[in-house]
Amino acid sequence: MDTYVPILALGLIAAAFAIFSVVIGSLTGPKRYNRAKLDSYECGIEPTPQPVGGGRFPVKYYLTAMLFIVFDIEIVFLYPWAVAFDALGWFGLAEMVLFVLTVLVAYAYVWRRGGLDWD
Amino acid sequence: MPQFPDAVSNQNMTNWFLGSFDTHIPWWFILVVIKAVAAFAILVVLTLFNIWYERRVVSFMQMRIGPNRVGPQGLLQSLADGVKLALKEDIVPTNADKPVFWIAPLLSAIPAFLAIAVIPWGPAVSIFGHWTTLQLVDLPVGVLYVLAISSIGIYGIVLAGWSSGSTYPLLGALRSSAQMISYEVAMGLSFAGVFLYAGTMSPSGIVNAQQHGWYFYMLPLSAIIYIIAMVGETNRAPFDLPEAEGELVGGFHTEYSSLKFALFFLAEYINLVTVSALAVTMFFGGWRAPVPISLWSGANSGWYPMLWFMIKLLIFVFVFIWLRGTLPRLRYDQFMAFGWKVLIPVSVLWLLVVALFRQLRNAGDLDRAHAVPIGIGIAAVFLLLVVALEVRERNQIRRTPPPTVPDYEPLAGGFPVPPMPGQSAPAVPRRPQFARTAAAPAPALNGTTAEEASTR
Amino acid sequence: MPSILAASTAAASNTAPFTAPHVEWGKLSPMLIVLGAATMGVLVEAFAPRAARYRLQVGLTLLALAAAFAAVIALHDTPTSVAAAGAVAVDKTTLFFQGTILAISFIAVLVIAERRTEGGQDAFAAQGGSVPGSQQEREAVRAGWLTTEVYPLVLFSIGGMLLFPAANDLLTMFVALEVLSLPLYLVCGLARHRRLLSQEAALKYFLLGAFSSAFFLYGAALLYGYAGSVQLSNSDPHNPGIAQAVAAHAHGPALLYTGIALLGMGLLFKVGAAPFHMWTPDVYEGAPTPITGFMSAATKIAAFGALVRVLDVGLAGSVDVWRPVIEIVAILTMVVGGILALTQRNVKRMLAYSAILNAGYIIMALVSTGHDALASLLFFLPTYGIALVGSFAVVTLVRDAGGVEATDLSRWAGLGKSAPIPATLMSIFLLAFAGIPFTSIFVGKFAVFQAALAAGAPQLVIVAVLASAVAAFFYLRVIVVMFFSDPMPDGPTIANPSIAVKTALAVSALVTVAMGVAPAALLHLSNAAAVLAR
Repeated sequence: MDTYVPILALGLIAAAFAIFSVVIGSLTGPKRYNRAKLDSYECGIEPTPQPVGGGRFPVKYYLTAMLFIVFDIEIVFLYPWAVAFDALGWFGLAEMVLFVLTVLVAYAYVWRRGGLDWD
Repeated sequence: MPQFPDAVSNQNMTNWFLGSFDTHIPWWFILVVIKAVAAFAILVVLTLFNIWYERRVVSFMQMRIGPNRVGPQGLLQSLADGVKLALKEDIVPTNADKPVFWIAPLLSAIPAFLAIAVIPWGPAVSIFGHWTTLQLVDLPVGVLYVLAISSIGIYGIVLAGWSSGSTYPLLGALRSSAQMISYEVAMGLSFAGVFLYAGTMSPSGIVNAQQHGWYFYMLPLSAIIYIIAMVGETNRAPFDLPEAEGELVGGFHTEYSSLKFALFFLAEYINLVTVSALAVTMFFGGWRAPVPISLWSGANSGWYPMLWFMIKLLIFVFVFIWLRGTLPRLRYDQFMAFGWKVLIPVSVLWLLVVALFRQLRNAGDLDRAHAVPIGIGIAAVFLLLVVALEVRERNQIRRTPPPTVPDYEPLAGGFPVPPMPGQSAPAVPRRPQFARTAAAPAPALNGTTAEEASTR
Repeated sequence: MPSILAASTAAASNTAPFTAPHVEWGKLSPMLIVLGAATMGVLVEAFAPRAARYRLQVGLTLLALAAAFAAVIALHDTPTSVAAAGAVAVDKTTLFFQGTILAISFIAVLVIAERRTEGGQDAFAAQGGSVPGSQQEREAVRAGWLTTEVYPLVLFSIGGMLLFPAANDLLTMFVALEVLSLPLYLVCGLARHRRLLSQEAALKYFLLGAFSSAFFLYGAALLYGYAGSVQLSNSDPHNPGIAQAVAAHAHGPALLYTGIALLGMGLLFKVGAAPFHMWTPDVYEGAPTPITGFMSAATKIAAFGALVRVLDVGLAGSVDVWRPVIEIVAILTMVVGGILALTQRNVKRMLAYSAILNAGYIIMALVSTGHDALASLLFFLPTYGIALVGSFAVVTLVRDAGGVEATDLSRWAGLGKSAPIPATLMSIFLLAFAGIPFTSIFVGKFAVFQAALAAGAPQLVIVAVLASAVAAFFYLRVIVVMFFSDPMPDGPTIANPSIAVKTALAVSALVTVAMGVAPAALLHLSNAAAVLAR
């Protein structure tokens, strides 16, 4: 745990700086109330009414997020394998090729079904 | 605890925290504080410098002068801008989700600082007679730590966009997060090759492993993929879609002003430094001196390595600026398609090739004489594959029939309308006296197409 | 200075020798064949032209199931052992479960692949992603698209089911549980008709299933905390499994008891035992009927296999702890299933509650860890499963106008006169469920009751007999409605199924009767198969 003391130190410095900036920024600046200024910025037109919580996002984003998880998990498995590669030898290589090919099958399916197309 | 020669027991440290000031403050702790402050200071100064650097270089590329008034050569311009921002009104929109709106810039800036902690800036040096490495902390999973910390920054962006209660920031934030996670995959995959060669995830271990050769030429494709992915990851041109002014105003920070905005800006430039530093560490030998200098035996000891590291870092920052000055922004679908359909499969296949190569070498079935032709062969196959895909793409574009465009109707729907793409307005017959005054190009007028004529 | 560098890298570099684990590919071949075929199926989906997919997928699926079954047969006299570094137990019980699951899945796939009853369209939505009632859906239907992803999904699910009863450690079991469940959640939401009902069912199943998986995982974590191992049993004294820790009375019984409770919840959910049965009727009703048949039979078999392995291998030492709970669950399940089935007017829901009731009977066999109890369970499961597949196959044939299945009991009035063959088949299955002599389940019930009596649980047998009496009423009610009331004027039409479904129906009816008349072969087999790798 001691290894993380320096990171903690840096984090404290960074946090102190960031919080200081945010606080000082709200104190030093002028405050001139103007209702239009506090509206959502939409290049001068009347702001679009916002549903509570930002509304629903296009499903594409969720799909991207899910695919990201799939590949991120793949990476999670790849890293320890890569670090220990020399010790694992042919066995490690064969197992990883099998695993990667399986993921690539899913990837090919998603690609062919247009899951990677935007619009 | 890193094994510094002066490491003292935790007991002492606890006493110190309890206020027994007569207790000897441990040297390792003083060093830690010095190094943490130094890392922080370097990042802040580098940010100020990089903003100036970027503005000057882009200016020269665009035949302008750029900031040159504040300080020598305008070096203090960014500082002046920072002070100016502090004196601007801190606007919190009515629609904003106040607490989150406040937290988001912090969530973006603090992790940005933290990521640099594991980057080795140099080997061990002597500070006040105490040996220490020029690295805040040497984690055995350092690179993983950088990836983890830099993904926390995405939260800052998403929350900033969401809490603004406004359409453009929301869209910008969504784009930004989708973009960052898409390129994070390729980035992560490109690292796997380095780990495979270095046998460690510790940044200092990776630098040490590059003693006999930098990875950018041992793993060229990994390096290229990482360099592309890091541009996408930092939302920089030509991948700066979250901030596409023409579409999204300022992207996720549209509603931010004053120092909150400055924090996002700061985070972006620190991330620039972080990914560049990571590129240097992973692929360009870290603090190791480049080839002609490395022949000098003292090049890799003392404080010199920090110089080499800095130079390499600034070269990378220059590349970022160069890209921005040269390339237009990608379309969003092209950008996503490039990430998912090119970078990811190429990096996965490349990793398998690298692994196969490595295993053949380990098993002793492959010597240098065979490795080179096989390597060339694999490169050729890759190249062919890319060319084949490109040709297929072009053929598809060629085969798709051009869209049928209805004839141009000058008064479609009762209004005078301009010709749409593919349509052309009929050439307007000119009155004789004008035709005569424009005598010189007159013969050309007949020869020009109707389209050209319409653009006059 | 160099020492500092050396220290930092030495920590990172791994010099420990690595010995590759030995993977017994042959012993794992049934699972590998099925999962490999499923992966092939995904590739077919990706690259085969739409028109060819259906044939390819069905052929691939049936071929894989047959090949895996052949592999099970080929393995039938392998000595009891654990494979894949102790993760998978290959013993007679595993093989019996795998063979049963494969055989029943084969029959179920014949029903799933049926296209004739709906004029070239199967029981699944033309395009799973289209919004019900939307223009997109209408276009997909008009284009005659088929969601052929169902076949790889079913294969993945079967792969999970094959691994589930074989898993010798809790993590493998969890992976199997997820591989089994996730595809099922999906296919449950793909019904062609009444799509909203189907999607609702899928969502319910998914949420509750995710809950139960979480319970299972938490229980596994606690048992790991108790035993220091996730392996159910490991005879290596340096590396003891859960069974050895239980036998040695390791410290922290609270961890053990909580772990058993949470693990049990996860598994009993899959079985559909009360009080974790709530999802069953809704999901059975909403899911496409061929899938209902498949999952009610095959999932139940696999889940009981896992339950047997956890209780009889891993936790046999603490039988006194969990036996009262299992007894209460058995009683509760029989009571809930029996009473609520009485009130059902919908054939699918009625079958769902009857499935709960029958789960209660099977749980009775779990109160003892002995050989006879296991053998009775092994006899009951295949006979019951095949009757379930058959009964749901009959339900797919009775259609209202527009192709929607007529599942309301009143619509079945007079079916015995308008369509004597389906009605007769349904009657055979229902009589079997009721446990009428000369049907397979009668023998199964008899064996289970006997095992429970031998284990000293007469109270269970009393409840079971009473529940059977109640059950006979609602089973017979369907038969009475079919044969002793007049057909409705606008009654449902009976689809004329393809030869595949006819075969499936014939086989299931035949087995149901044959195992009742001449159960000796299966009894012998289940007796011989009741051997667990401990």
